[in-house]
Amino acid sequence: MDMQYELNVAHLYGDLMNTYGDLGNILVLKYYAQQMGVKINSKVVSLDEDFKAEDYDIAVFGGGQDFEQVIVSKDIQTKKDELIKYIENDGCLLAICGGFQLLGHYYIDAKGDKIPGIGALDHYTEPQDNNRFIGNILIKNPENGEEYHGFENHQGVTHLGKDEKPLGMVEKGYGNNGQDHTEGAVYKNVYCTYFHGPILARNGNLAKNILMAALKRKYPDQDLSKAASLKVPASY
Amino acid sequence: MSIRSGIASFAGKSSYWFLHTFLHGGSSLPGKITTKIDPNILSHLGKNYDVIVITGTNGKTLTTALTVQVLKQKYSNILTNPSGSNMEQGLVTTFLKAKNPKTGRNLAVLEVDEANVIKLTKYIKPIAFVFTNIFRDQMDRYGEIYTTYQKIIDGVKLAPKATIIANGDAAIFNSVDLPNPKLFYGFQNGDDAQDIKAKPNTDGVLCPNCQNIVHYRYIIYANLGKYFCPNCGFERPKLDFALSKINTLTPESSTFEIDNQKIKIGIGGVYNIYNALAAYSAGKFLGIESNKIAQAFTSNERVFGRQEKINVEGKDVTLILVKNPVGLNQVIDMISSDKDAFSFIGLLNANYADGIDTSWIWDGDFERLPQMNIKKYITGGERYKDITFRLKVAGAPEELHEVEPNLDKVVEKIKTVPTDKVYILATYTAMLKLRSIFANKGYIKGGME
Repeated sequence: MDMQYELNVAHLYGDLMNTYGDLGNILVLKYYAQQMGVKINSKVVSLDEDFKAEDYDIAVFGGGQDFEQVIVSKDIQTKKDELIKYIENDGCLLAICGGFQLLGHYYIDAKGDKIPGIGALDHYTEPQDNNRFIGNILIKNPENGEEYHGFENHQGVTHLGKDEKPLGMVEKGYGNNGQDHTEGAVYKNVYCTYFHGPILARNGNLAKNILMAALKRKYPDQDLSKAASLKVPASY
Repeated sequence: MSIRSGIASFAGKSSYWFLHTFLHGGSSLPGKITTKIDPNILSHLGKNYDVIVITGTNGKTLTTALTVQVLKQKYSNILTNPSGSNMEQGLVTTFLKAKNPKTGRNLAVLEVDEANVIKLTKYIKPIAFVFTNIFRDQMDRYGEIYTTYQKIIDGVKLAPKATIIANGDAAIFNSVDLPNPKLFYGFQNGDDAQDIKAKPNTDGVLCPNCQNIVHYRYIIYANLGKYFCPNCGFERPKLDFALSKINTLTPESSTFEIDNQKIKIGIGGVYNIYNALAAYSAGKFLGIESNKIAQAFTSNERVFGRQEKINVEGKDVTLILVKNPVGLNQVIDMISSDKDAFSFIGLLNANYADGIDTSWIWDGDFERLPQMNIKKYITGGERYKDITFRLKVAGAPEELHEVEPNLDKVVEKIKTVPTDKVYILATYTAMLKLRSIFANKGYIKGGME
């Protein structure tokens, strides 16, 4: 297929935040992008490397181990301003688990230390005592009606801020905090979630939504109906 | 012997005899009974043994088997444990099953689960620990690599005189300062002029000293290689036992050189060369000569790791257990060395023993499959949808790819594939199910111990 479009993907800390098959989200983006006539250029942006908001159309930020996340939480402060600029300018971002937590104000790690995020989004994450939310999960997005399947495994409980909407309401499983039935967060073109799987592998429609949002932002004057016509068969 | 130990030991042995004779089983229950009566039983049972503990994420079973083979060159009676009996109860049972040690020292080579090292060292002070590697492994059950290593270290701290024989290519084994004597083994067969980084989805790449990302002169696989930190100068320790050259690699065997000694092992995969290197190092530690070790590896005794050959109506089937991304990638690497055309079967379950989170398959390098001479792909198992989509994304051609969730039918399909060779990669419970089908049809005898 002719590649009509090109999208640049920043794989944020891809060498450190990669615990649950996070690379799969990039592979799946490429898989559907190719069928939509979109070439994906993916680049890992890690410790001591610059993130420039205008260089990227999509960013993917995975989850890591406790130790790696503490290192990332320090480094990401140097990228904070550019990341906030990127988000406020409608840049697309998919954040999983630890990535989700670090976009918010803070999280408390397994040792009880408070680890600062960048506060780009208005959520915060508290610990729960001797418990993790582990298992298969199903949510439904209240706006587009789409259902998303995944697997969650997290100790932190996240509370969303007032400008954030959930990625979905929990039909089966625990979600952000096991109480308010929300799972994940959506703010502008930022999609956050606790889903492994990885999320885009089981939910191709979400991959397509992200690709379309990035295309509309980068190619605002073009007719994207051909890319939009891609049918995504169920993969789960 | 205290009266309590005596009673405990007697009860354990009787229960082992009963279970073994009438139920054809009994790997952990006798240990459980014995430990219940006398929690300190291991100090009694192990007191006449020099113990070598083998631990780490991958390669424990094969390294243990190879080490026993090597040490047989010098020691006539070696106690060892079957795969799967590597936790406290299984270790107790292993000692209970042993013929009463005569006077003098006896040797035990034991595979020990990472978290159970401390349960052994509380009672028995080993003469050596062999560390294979530490990788991410079924995170819903185990946890982070640093936590796993800390568990091993907690156990080692109770035996500060034991020699640590560790994989020098793994930076994590150089991250904690311990008083123990140390010996390192590793690969010394790359190009020292290079400066490379591990692939993005590799774990454990932070410098243990300054937390920057480590670089490598060369990488053997995953995070193993000649690492160095460009930031603080931390680097791989000097190797005491070095693989200098790999000569041939096929799925059936490998030939290579350690300290200029030519060696052949009858099992494929670079990861198994590491296991052989670990066994070689343990042998040298106990004073066995290099040529004797090479002989031990070529002895007729067949060593099975996590792979098994089965003849299914003339098809040459290799069944391989996969359980974590690094192990999976090593298997993919091994089958890539096959020059013949073959069929590829991937079977994915997600029960507790498999790991209930299937996301790890996305760290598997399935993208390499379409470059191999594969004539047929079959995906199946309880989570056939996940593994099917994974292979689709990896580029397995649709016209060669068949989906068959039902394992009975997979076995039927094997007979009709267009190749003589078949590789089956299966997670634990899928492998057990498949083996029982093979056994029912008479393709294999009995179960795995």
